[in-house]
Amino acid sequence: MTRKISKIALNLILLLLGVVTVYPFVWMLASSFKKNSEIMALEQHLLPQIFTAENYINMNERFNFMRFFANSLFVTIAITVIVIYTSTICGFVLSKYRFKGRNLIFGFVLSTMMIPWCVTIIPKYSMIQAFDWMDSYKALIIPAMFSGFGIFMMKQHIASLPDEILEAARIDGANEFYIFHRIVFPMSKNGISSIAIFQFLWAWEDYLWPYLVINTQEKQLLSVGLKMFNGQYSTDYGALFAATAISIIPVLLIYLFFQKQFIAGIAASAVKG
Amino acid sequence: MKKKFMALLMASAMAVGLLSGCGGGSSEEKEQVEVPTEPFGDTIKYDPAAEINNGEDITIELWEWGSDDLFQEIIDGYTAMHPNVTIKLVNNPWEDYWTKLPLALDGEEGPALFNVHNSYHENLINYMAPLEIPIEDLEADFTGVNAHVIDGEVYYIDYGMMTGAVYYNKDMWEAAGLTEEDIPKTWDELIEVAKKLTIKDGDTLIQAGLNFNDDFHQNYLLGLNYQLGENLFQDDGRTPNVNSETMVQIMQMLVDMYRVDGIGSENFGEKAPDSFGQGQSAMVIQWGHYYNTLNTTWSNIDFGVFEIPTFDGEVPYAYNRYNGESTFGINKNAPADQQAVAQDFVKYFLANDDAQIAFNLAMSTFPAKKSLADSEEVMANPSLAILADHIDRYIWPGPMPATVENSLKKAGQDVFYNGVDIQTALDEAQESIVRDMRNSSFESVENLYTYASERTQ
Amino acid sequence: MFKKSHPLQSKSEIILRNIVVVAMVIFFTVFLIVPIAIAFAGSFHDWNPLSGTYNFLGVQNYIDVFTSGLFWNSMLNTLIFSVVVIIFRVGLGLAIAYAIYSTLVKHKSFFRAVYYMPVVTPMVAVAFVWKFMYNPQIGTINQIFGLDVNWLMNPKTALAAVMIMTIWKDFGYAVVMYMAGLYSLPADALEAAKVDGANAWQTFKYITFPLLKPMTMFVTITSIISYIQAYVQILIMTEGGPGTATYLSSYIIYDEAFVKYNFGYASALSFVLFVITAFFTWLSFRVSGSEE
Repeated sequence: MTRKISKIALNLILLLLGVVTVYPFVWMLASSFKKNSEIMALEQHLLPQIFTAENYINMNERFNFMRFFANSLFVTIAITVIVIYTSTICGFVLSKYRFKGRNLIFGFVLSTMMIPWCVTIIPKYSMIQAFDWMDSYKALIIPAMFSGFGIFMMKQHIASLPDEILEAARIDGANEFYIFHRIVFPMSKNGISSIAIFQFLWAWEDYLWPYLVINTQEKQLLSVGLKMFNGQYSTDYGALFAATAISIIPVLLIYLFFQKQFIAGIAASAVKG
Repeated sequence: MKKKFMALLMASAMAVGLLSGCGGGSSEEKEQVEVPTEPFGDTIKYDPAAEINNGEDITIELWEWGSDDLFQEIIDGYTAMHPNVTIKLVNNPWEDYWTKLPLALDGEEGPALFNVHNSYHENLINYMAPLEIPIEDLEADFTGVNAHVIDGEVYYIDYGMMTGAVYYNKDMWEAAGLTEEDIPKTWDELIEVAKKLTIKDGDTLIQAGLNFNDDFHQNYLLGLNYQLGENLFQDDGRTPNVNSETMVQIMQMLVDMYRVDGIGSENFGEKAPDSFGQGQSAMVIQWGHYYNTLNTTWSNIDFGVFEIPTFDGEVPYAYNRYNGESTFGINKNAPADQQAVAQDFVKYFLANDDAQIAFNLAMSTFPAKKSLADSEEVMANPSLAILADHIDRYIWPGPMPATVENSLKKAGQDVFYNGVDIQTALDEAQESIVRDMRNSSFESVENLYTYASERTQ
Repeated sequence: MFKKSHPLQSKSEIILRNIVVVAMVIFFTVFLIVPIAIAFAGSFHDWNPLSGTYNFLGVQNYIDVFTSGLFWNSMLNTLIFSVVVIIFRVGLGLAIAYAIYSTLVKHKSFFRAVYYMPVVTPMVAVAFVWKFMYNPQIGTINQIFGLDVNWLMNPKTALAAVMIMTIWKDFGYAVVMYMAGLYSLPADALEAAKVDGANAWQTFKYITFPLLKPMTMFVTITSIISYIQAYVQILIMTEGGPGTATYLSSYIIYDEAFVKYNFGYASALSFVLFVITAFFTWLSFRVSGSEE
């Protein structure tokens, strides 16, 4: 009986919190179908009184939406895949191997995350210029290949994998490359899916760096195109909200996809166990 | 033979591209561009017959922010005369354009032509090539050129001047029983009118007579000082003058408007321009761009415009501060042939009256080109028409660093929201401006103002 | 943890270790340490890379940092902001993840998707939406609660308002992380607890929470690092106002670098902030005792 009550109470609380979480989001979505005068109007209604798809239509007139979308997808997926691999292997080495200077290297990786980008972005730009990587995706992908966040995440995650499994494999004569690729990597599914979710999000949203290094319009990314609506004297709210709504669709899809992987992975291990 | 065939192929491919690609609508509306054959212009003359780049094909880039159509129109006019020239328009987001542009100009990626805003003067000037047009010619055709002379060279000038005016809601005006006769000439009159326009329910404001929330720094603190005969910078051109008695007096006037006269409140309407658009405030002082905002975003507000009042109703030292909208910059690191085209393009822009009017109306700025000061199109815009009589009585302090505005905004917020007393707040603003300008090369050009000698001091 | 270390280092282990360590060090040196070093050198200069200014100043920028009242004020704000937001992020994140994980809740994917939505929405858009919510005349919050508060312009409420928005935006991140942690827990440990007759709270306190420690460490430390650098919400919602009431150190850095173009001063601020961040990170490791 108490279980039933607490079940209802808990679900209600979660639902209420869910409403609070979703409301501003729904507000934004609804506003993306309003004119600016209605968004700012004294009389506020959640749903558009005069429905307009203008904000979405304008987007396609300002730039080649599909092209930018495809570019963004390519760059983001490339970065995400690379980061997943580098983070897992670095996390493995940093958590399961004991060697001199290990903590030093980890501290070094972590500390690079603590300097604000504001002061390093222009030096980084000069370097890319010196490498002659301007206006190419090399400038976007290569500097993003390793992620301090990802390494840290995977280090924490792999540390909790039991050593016995690795030892057993070693006794069976497996080499470390085999152990990493066939044992550790598959077992890190949950960590990997959270990295994938966040790395995809960050690469997808990243705006200033692609804007600075990419000049050719045909190569430009979606996040840059969407910024075109920030005016000199005012913000075009409707356009901003429409652009935001569209740009988060792929990120949500990635999330739902990896969520599924999540559950599939758990189900699989449950069957095995 | 082969060449001709190729050209034909290219042309048809381009035509197909134009019709199919390029997104919705704009290509169909494109009118046939009229190609002038005779030289035109006032002192600066543009000769369309002169060959560009020896008639050889050349492509340059023009970087800008904001309105594509406006720029495309003038590019189309130019390339119609010079079919061998292609100008690629590259649109940029306003804010980060100012980071990307100087970085690109420093390297090899920079455009030959770029749109300039004088608030970023210091970061751009080192990469700009001087205009080849003689200064006397520029001065003959445009006002305010002398303020742009640097060591005998001019790198860009203003095509238009933007400044503030009072916008009022005509329906509210009528409802309060006011007529055209009541348009105030002095601040006292304005306050009286505002009182009539204010509606209260007990202590709760329903309608504000005047609203200056979020922009007292821009429209009052940095402009009314001139009405009282005081510059924003001291005579050395470097030391700000923002904690003077005059400034205290202006800030006190603002505080009294809300606290004593009760014609508005710092908590009523987050931003003055929005509040006016929402129909909650009867009057606001805004700069020219607001005219366009009202016509696009707030099209259901019936508004009128009048010139900013003064303290005694007489012609003051200057009515207000203005800021210029700048002509294009030319990249000094661009290849010589591209620079030559860029120079020619700027000349075309300056000589072309249609382009000048189009740009000024798009920005709602008063034309700097003297011959256009009373043109019909300009006078049709009421926010510009009211400036016409005294446009020479508006002063430009030069490309001020952002800290001047930002520090005074902070001072105003301190006074209105944080309960700091006026003198302390302004002293702090003065201090922070001095500190921030330590590394700046800015020097005020207030001494170049036409009536600089009239200053009471 | 279980065993100190396996004594024999195989050849393949050394090879793999060397490849990874060398690749990592080279990458971080080239793409992070070099720009950081350039910025560090810049912190001793009057430096504006956009106009090309670069004049030696010595330690003047650092003196300015330490003698600036605004900086110390902003440090206090940053401390309040970070501590409060991190506590809520970790607490809410863990509580909600645990609730969804429990057998009491049915529609797990639904809730997870809902709480994740603010996380994927770019901060710029979110900050504008909340600015509307906080608007004194037309804002939802005043309308729902029947209040007349100018949230973002009142020095008493402005920082809290920004913090609430940030918690709303970010707790989903902790939910996702803790979900991953919870699903990775060894089932036998929880089973054993059940067999021993532990109640739900005891299981959580003595088994689940300690097992989640690496995740808590991770969420806390990444939060410290990211909140000490948070500025977008300030930029859009208050611009540091009213007056300087909501200045965060990171906002000063942004403002100095990209509004005032004092990159030298911004760099000096960044390195002072770096030392502080590094200290708190080290402290977190120390307190949790997870790092030997």
